[in-house]
Amino acid sequence: VKRFFGMSLALVLIVVALMGLAGVFYLAAGWLGWGFNLAFGRDGTVDPALVHFGASIANVLTLMMVVLMISGSLLTVAERKWSALLQNRIGANRITIGGSPMGGIPYLAADALKMLTKERVEPVAATRFLYELAPLLSFAPVFCLFAIVPVGPPIDLGAIAAGAVGSGQHVALQVAKIDTGLLYLFAIASLQVYGTSLAGWASNNKLALLGGVRASSQMISYEVSLGLSLVGTMMAYRTLQLDEMVAAQGQAVLGLAPGWGLLLQPVGFLIFFTSGFAETKRAPFDLPEGESEIVGYFLEYSGMKFGMMFLAEFLEIAVFAGVITAVFLGGWHPLPIAGVTEWLRLNLHPLAFAAVCGGVFLVKMIVMMWLQLVIRWLLPRFRYDQIQQLCWKILLPAALANIFVTGAAILLDPSLKLLATLGVITIVVVAVLVGATGKAPAAAHAEPHAAGH
Amino acid sequence: MPYQLDNRPPDLREQMYFPEIIRGIGTVTAHFFRNLFFSRDANPDILARPRGLGYSDNVTLQYPEEKQPYPPGYRGLHRLVPREDGKPRCVACYMCATACPAQCIYIEAAEYPDDPVEKYPARFVIDELRCVVCGFCVEACPKDAIRMDTGEHAPPSYTREAQVLDEKRLLRGEPVSYQSDPWLRRDAPSIPADKLAEMKANARPFPSVATDEYAQTPGFSVRALAAEARDRAERARR
Repeated sequence: VKRFFGMSLALVLIVVALMGLAGVFYLAAGWLGWGFNLAFGRDGTVDPALVHFGASIANVLTLMMVVLMISGSLLTVAERKWSALLQNRIGANRITIGGSPMGGIPYLAADALKMLTKERVEPVAATRFLYELAPLLSFAPVFCLFAIVPVGPPIDLGAIAAGAVGSGQHVALQVAKIDTGLLYLFAIASLQVYGTSLAGWASNNKLALLGGVRASSQMISYEVSLGLSLVGTMMAYRTLQLDEMVAAQGQAVLGLAPGWGLLLQPVGFLIFFTSGFAETKRAPFDLPEGESEIVGYFLEYSGMKFGMMFLAEFLEIAVFAGVITAVFLGGWHPLPIAGVTEWLRLNLHPLAFAAVCGGVFLVKMIVMMWLQLVIRWLLPRFRYDQIQQLCWKILLPAALANIFVTGAAILLDPSLKLLATLGVITIVVVAVLVGATGKAPAAAHAEPHAAGH
Repeated sequence: MPYQLDNRPPDLREQMYFPEIIRGIGTVTAHFFRNLFFSRDANPDILARPRGLGYSDNVTLQYPEEKQPYPPGYRGLHRLVPREDGKPRCVACYMCATACPAQCIYIEAAEYPDDPVEKYPARFVIDELRCVVCGFCVEACPKDAIRMDTGEHAPPSYTREAQVLDEKRLLRGEPVSYQSDPWLRRDAPSIPADKLAEMKANARPFPSVATDEYAQTPGFSVRALAAEARDRAERARR
């Protein structure tokens, strides 16, 4: 009972702390943006480019370095502790600080120390340049991906820096607003495959090469359904930009229900989640690694070079969680009730409103990361032909059908009501399928026996 | 607990795969939150831990810190049973050394200087590495002077020498006196008078069965566990 209250308190504190963190990020972005303007701009004028530049630098530091790096490295610990909780175990608790295992967090330091101090073992016949390049290539694109994820809503710069009142400038927790939006996402996500396949190729090892080949064929296949699954959302929100998508998700489409991606595109959500999962190369799609059959594309890497590949996988989880939150789970909209965001915007100080929204986004992101880890520990690895069948025979046709149905629904009813109704029907059907507890009739499996005798 | 799945072909819902995955997520999530919100019961008798809603599903025993006590019949590390005056009950009769199939017991007898009747082991050495843990020495002993009721297995060590236990390391545990003990019946002069009185006060009849109270673990009952297993088998049959 003590633990129950302690854990509940801890969860509430974490949510509050995340909101506070988002507020601090806003302050950093606002101050750096305004500071750039004061330092480099002409007196008395507001230069939008300078403000934008400063805010972007602050966002790179806070979102990419702090949020992404810390959530990625904490996920390595979470993978152990959460899997332990799922499997009724205790999990890593041998490193203690003052007698307390601290939820396994000291393992972070121990892991880093181990990775950094390990002996470097390199194959003699490796293609040296590509061999060294591969970990970077699998590490860097993940960071670039997070650039377009809108973590918080744009607020007036005047709420943060007093001098900027009335300047009309905005700051948002988003590194870059790119017009191509989701296309940028697909482009950079495709670059990831170079890291893995180069690692497999350059190591001069047959098993590593096998892993690299598996990785490239799997990732290229799933890229197709990954792209097609988002076409429906692009049509529904009429934009490619993630921040505009999130803003559009606050509008009511069906009574009080807002047009969250999950409501408008439940099929797209399932397909995107599955293909994105395959892109992260984790179980049940961990064929490229397949530690029990081939050791995987990073077989010949040791020390921190392996660590980078390992960490890149967890970063992919975090980025994927961010993208799915922005596109399907309403982004920074706190509640799935239309109007709540507007009410908050009117009744709270802009900074407090932004902090709440940013914190909610981070919470949703954590929930999605948790869901990915749950599935990773739930399902066994697929066979290779099953993976390709799932992609080409199930996900791809479903994604195409989804596009046609979505397009027809939008064409018939541009107010999205029809699309939302279809979404509700889909969700209800899935819920019934999940909830139905029918047992196969007993006679069905008695019959073959009778026929056999 | 293992349970049987009936070997039927998958129904339509199961063939669709996705709904089953979502159900699986539900199952696993229930475990996750039960284990997150409720702490593990550290009762070493795992079957006696409370189960169900409001309790952790965790069945771990944190081994080096928490140990499951061995059952009463367990033959653990030897000990020489002491008397109340700190001397061993052993009278150096060599019956254990004679019965030992591994020949791992070495005894050197000596006499108490102030008591010409009784002997005691000046050296009593057991090589735990040679011991085959058969328990014959315990059964051979006419004085209940050697027992294997410590409930410990041989501890790990870095040297072989550390596994050779001499009388100083073997003599430990609760002292025991019996009414039939010869040194009590003839008021042996080697024992101080006050100790003799204490020993006589504590003396019990000689046991007729081998198991004794030192090996009993509180809350542990072989009979209860066996009855539970019988019940389970009964239910499984029905």
